[in-house]
Amino acid sequence: MTAPKRANRKKIKDKDFELVRAINSGQFDRFADLVKSYEQKLYNFSLRMCRDAADAEDTVQETFLNVFRYLKDFRYETKFKNWLYRIAASTCIKKRRKSKFAPQRELSLDEFYPQGEAEVPQQVPDWAQLPLDKVLSNELLDKINEAIFTLPEKYRLVIVLRDIEGFDTAETAQILNLSEANVKVRLHRARLYLRDRLKGYFENE
Amino acid sequence: MNKNEHDHRHCLELFEKLSEYLDNELDEVTCRDIEKHVKECVPCFVCLQTLKRTIDLCKQAGNRSVPEDFSKKLKEAIQNMPKSPPAR
Repeated sequence: MTAPKRANRKKIKDKDFELVRAINSGQFDRFADLVKSYEQKLYNFSLRMCRDAADAEDTVQETFLNVFRYLKDFRYETKFKNWLYRIAASTCIKKRRKSKFAPQRELSLDEFYPQGEAEVPQQVPDWAQLPLDKVLSNELLDKINEAIFTLPEKYRLVIVLRDIEGFDTAETAQILNLSEANVKVRLHRARLYLRDRLKGYFENE
Repeated sequence: MNKNEHDHRHCLELFEKLSEYLDNELDEVTCRDIEKHVKECVPCFVCLQTLKRTIDLCKQAGNRSVPEDFSKKLKEAIQNMPKSPPAR
């Protein structure tokens, strides 16, 4: 059996399909609608990846310029949003390499596995069993965002795409050009890292 | 298992899969295995609950508004782009 020809691949008609088609057919003014639609999401994604506000702004602008430049190449074989985030992630990675914030390190499962009498939990702490609204506070949200910032980039990218932006495993793998297995490993470690930070926060409260 | 020990191989195997379990990405047999295990193993139950809450909290992280100055600058940059994409 031969692979289907590129031209025969089914087009994905997502919510941006008509708008992207309109732009690609010459209605370039409508690109502003695309920017309006994704500006805030991309700004926050970039801020979480770059940390520095000026870098995040540069990244968003560069992403939209790249999207405009390459939109004609978009084949509607994926959701437009996934393609957009692929460009955004790649732009953030390039920006980060030039940035001073780049604490790269591997997170190993062992460092999160509770061992020894002092670490082995014997009961669910309040922060994990009270209703969510009883636990949430602005200070806690600041702590969560701060903890996300301290994650090494490759783990941060995955957790931001999965747990904040809401992409599924397959989409995240496609955006980052990783295997799904790799996405799952990174996500689990990133979540365990954040869990430890939250645990520390609540224990020292 | 002694309540102060948490070095059981089965615990470690399941510990690796807790995120996939919470994301409904495991087969039914493994799911049942985890559910059975956490009923009997308090440390693993606590790990599962704290991980679940971490995900819930992460989803609440929230978004900042785009600074007005930047939004204006971005709009201008878009308006100043060539009216047709560059030829390839």
